[in-house]
Amino acid sequence: MGSNRFEFRASLSNLEEGLDVLHRSVERLRRATGRGADDRPLMLFETALGEIGSNVLTHGRPAGSSRPVEYALRLDGATVVASLSDSGPPVHEHLSREMPVPESEDGRGLAMARSLLDDLGYERDGNVNRWRLVKRL
Amino acid sequence: MALDVETRPSVNGVTVLAPMGRLDVAGAPALKEAIGEAVKNGTPKVVIDMEGVSFVDSTGLGSVIAALKQIRGSQGELRLAAPNQQVRVVLELTTLDRVFPYYATVEEALTGF
Repeated sequence: MGSNRFEFRASLSNLEEGLDVLHRSVERLRRATGRGADDRPLMLFETALGEIGSNVLTHGRPAGSSRPVEYALRLDGATVVASLSDSGPPVHEHLSREMPVPESEDGRGLAMARSLLDDLGYERDGNVNRWRLVKRL
Repeated sequence: MALDVETRPSVNGVTVLAPMGRLDVAGAPALKEAIGEAVKNGTPKVVIDMEGVSFVDSTGLGSVIAALKQIRGSQGELRLAAPNQQVRVVLELTTLDRVFPYYATVEEALTGF
């Protein structure tokens, strides 16, 4: 039986390495909780994390800003919570975006993340975007 | 982790591309390039062997949609083979499973192609 407590923190300052860290953190959580690679709730969570993570790492580090993206992943009982904060422009207008038509090549990320999570929180705190991804496992 | 794309020798006019790694925002350009090369070389029948793809995101998926448009624009056809559970979930969630016929194995995808 795996643990039901887990905590991981990292500062991310590069797209490719940042994505590696996000996936690695989920892999560690998978191992810590004794879940298999085919565990569906964790796989859905990782998919949502990949979407929000790539948005944040792509748009959350404006040119000239050296401020990294702050990332934390924790397990509280049976609920996994990821938080990401970035110093990119506010994104309120993108939050309600619906799933685009199948022929569209982009614009799916937020709609996918919303439907895969139990809760996707977003707030603008001064010049910082704060994201909170919640999934019951 | 960069995406590596192996282009297997064309058989009966069908090119099989085998990406290995994560097909995400960082990996998508490599697949786009390989598709571009395959179409340029006059083989618009393409199978993407997804067995080595551990994870796909919406940008990776976008690169497959772009490939589909490019290949259909050359009167060709694109098939996906051997997607893992995560790739299938993403295809279903985005209803792209209606656009991409996917096959359990490369051999099945090549049958009657």
